[in-house]
Amino acid sequence: MLELRDIVKIYNPGTITEMCLFQGFNLTVADGDFLSIVGSNGSGKTSLLNIICGSIPVEGGQVLINGEDITKMKEYRRYGRIGRVYQNPAMGSCPNLTLLENLSLADNKGRPFGLKKGINKARREYYREQLAALGLGLEDKLEVKMGALSGGQRQAAALIMATLTPIDFLILDEHTAALDPKTAETIMELTDKVIREKKLTAIMVTHNLRYAVEYGNRLIMMDKGQIVLEKAGAEKEATTVADVLHIFNEISIECGN
Amino acid sequence: MMKKIIAVAVILAIFATFAAGCGSKKVPVIGISQYGEHASLDNCREGFIQGLKDAGLAEGKDFTIDYQNAGFDDDIATQIAQTFSANNVAIMVGIATPAATACFAAAEDKDIPVVFTAITDPVKAKLDKGNITGTSDKLPVDAQLDLIRKIQPEAKTIGIIYTTSEPNSVSAIAEYEEKAPQYGFAIESIGVTQQSEVTLAVDTLLSKGVDCFSNLTDNNVVGVLPSILEKTNEAKVPVYGSEVEQVKIGCVAAAGIDYIALGIQTGKMAAKILKGEATAENMPYETITEFNYYINSAALAEMGLEVPAEIAEKAIESGQ
Amino acid sequence: MGSFFDLVVGTVTQGLIYALLSLGVYITYRILDFPDLTVDGSFPLGAAVAAVLLTRGVSPYLTLIVAMAVGALAGLVTGVIHVKLGVRDLLAGIITMTGLFSINLQIAGSNLAVDRATDTIFTAAPTMALFGAMPLIYRKLVVSLILAVVFKLILDAYFSTQSGLLLRAVGDNSTLVTTLAKDKGSVKILGLVISNTLVALSGAVVCHEQRAFNSTMGTGQVVFGLATVIIGTTLFKNLGFVKGTTAVIIGSILYKACIQVAISLGLPANLLKLITAVLFLIILVLGNRRKSGVNANA
Repeated sequence: MLELRDIVKIYNPGTITEMCLFQGFNLTVADGDFLSIVGSNGSGKTSLLNIICGSIPVEGGQVLINGEDITKMKEYRRYGRIGRVYQNPAMGSCPNLTLLENLSLADNKGRPFGLKKGINKARREYYREQLAALGLGLEDKLEVKMGALSGGQRQAAALIMATLTPIDFLILDEHTAALDPKTAETIMELTDKVIREKKLTAIMVTHNLRYAVEYGNRLIMMDKGQIVLEKAGAEKEATTVADVLHIFNEISIECGN
Repeated sequence: MMKKIIAVAVILAIFATFAAGCGSKKVPVIGISQYGEHASLDNCREGFIQGLKDAGLAEGKDFTIDYQNAGFDDDIATQIAQTFSANNVAIMVGIATPAATACFAAAEDKDIPVVFTAITDPVKAKLDKGNITGTSDKLPVDAQLDLIRKIQPEAKTIGIIYTTSEPNSVSAIAEYEEKAPQYGFAIESIGVTQQSEVTLAVDTLLSKGVDCFSNLTDNNVVGVLPSILEKTNEAKVPVYGSEVEQVKIGCVAAAGIDYIALGIQTGKMAAKILKGEATAENMPYETITEFNYYINSAALAEMGLEVPAEIAEKAIESGQ
Repeated sequence: MGSFFDLVVGTVTQGLIYALLSLGVYITYRILDFPDLTVDGSFPLGAAVAAVLLTRGVSPYLTLIVAMAVGALAGLVTGVIHVKLGVRDLLAGIITMTGLFSINLQIAGSNLAVDRATDTIFTAAPTMALFGAMPLIYRKLVVSLILAVVFKLILDAYFSTQSGLLLRAVGDNSTLVTTLAKDKGSVKILGLVISNTLVALSGAVVCHEQRAFNSTMGTGQVVFGLATVIIGTTLFKNLGFVKGTTAVIIGSILYKACIQVAISLGLPANLLKLITAVLFLIILVLGNRRKSGVNANA
């Protein structure tokens, strides 16, 4: 379970550009939740993810995982239990390493990186299976440098890499936003499949209202650092894209967008 | 594949051009490796060739010169020495320590004799044993102190700037400090690590009120001598040099080695080797002891200084 | 044509000895994407340590190991300054390099020469037992070749380990290393340590070869290293079977060969650097020309 308690986030504190984003923000994500977060630019969605992962510091409040306070924990340590897929497909892998090398790195997460062979040949077949299940033909590209793959293929591989080892949370940071509509669809379906199969707790930030409505069991809409809409369970099942769009437009009009 | 062909072609082309300068010649070749372009070192080289001629050898008939300059780069000095060694030159000549060291290393298991010049301390540079000989250019510190005392009877402190990593300068400073009290001087010295610090050091010494400056043969200091003189002339503090070139630039006077004479002496030693009269192995290195007085009357006049007659009559006017 | 052959041998030897430095720079510049200026200080550091130990009668082989250890320490210092104290990469290297200038002189006293009676790795008994039959210049070639090849193979092997993969990842995409729950700072420090170990080794071997330590011998070594890495990797970019480490060694030999050509042609020393710069440019432009069409990955 993930809890954010009374989070205070101020950008550029003490300067003329000081901007208070969160003032006592609270959010709880239960185990097994698949939470979608929508909201306009600047509403605090990505900041929220960065606070969970420790990529940016907070000025107040606590971040807890399963009751343990991780507010002071360094970013890289938090990733011991968190997997993350970024908006930019290039962020999730190393372009000059082969797909196999990338997968081997991801597969070793949580263990020491010593002087053992970097590529475990015995795992090769397992990677092939995992990749074959994607249906993108990646299983035949294990020796290809990541940089030579398409954005969609890289994002699919990044998804596999992020979930290859046991994790508590999967963070999806607008991970379909940089892809063409068809590839985005494929990646979204894959994401849902992986989350279900591995029974992951996931938090997805997206601009695609349809994905937010169709996937997951919870949905929140954020605006200016606050949750303005929250739907869960059966209530969420009944929510349509039109409902969400309506509220979204209202907020946008207030903002003068 | 094209790539591979080009790569191979480049490599071949490079090595093929080596052949150009490598033909065997009848006339013995003397390879001169000079550490860098520098007035004193140039004088050494010119003197060296003069020395060979003085010994009765004719250029083109009895010897030819393969002159290379390392541009103050140790790695290039190494490669120059290798070239000499590979070409089996009759004698390798190293002007200044790094050049001589490289020559000596390249000749390690060959019979090529090495002759050096412009090295202050051949023993410390480990260039005193083996098939090697040459001349040492220790500064005439006593004569320098004596000259300053005679031109400035009232002076108390001498300012000296030197580079801490130049062994020649470090040993000269030590000698200065040891001998200064005998002439009634105190030494104010500032060590620098690079050329850009020199002018700052001048300001510091001027503010400490030194009565004059003395320059060693420190490359960093001599390299910015014009800007040093600009400051000292304004403050009316005379600067003494250690070689004729410094006096030409504007130092008031110097008791210094004549590098041309040093070169001639070295050239004569090389001639003995070339003629087979001696070997570098059994010819000990020689330290030049004679020095000349050089004066710059214009600079002296500007400082309101006069040179005692006993020195003036021996001195060589070197001002422009 | 014995002299020509000797010249080639000598030049290749220089290239191989300095290739150790190039391999070090390859790790920082190419793999870590870290322009490490420590090299100008750690190279003479290796030489200073070797010179002092040789003159004290320490086993020549041991001097190389000590020099490597001290070089590792120099890399560690730059790494800590950059990672832990948050100083920018270039500045962190400059700080260490500047400090090392004094430290090197402190270690060696001043410029230090090793006399001929002292054994180096090229003349010590174990080397003589193996290669004593050949003249010194061939022995120097063989020993340098062994050193360059051994360290190239060690590096190749290391790059394929888990730790080596992580090192390659940190220069390629440091965000990924963070999401792998690894501290990218520690990985960078490790890379700097390995790099400067090799650089100091190169300096130590140069000291053995030249029998001298000179406090200014480090000047320009970063530039040399960068040039050789870029020449090597550019020339062999499209040859998949040539490993980066091999390309860098060849780059180092080519660089020394360029200088040798300039010397043999009797070009004035003051022009040598300019000629090197022009050659460097030609190789780069040729390399880029071939690359056109392939989408360069930033």
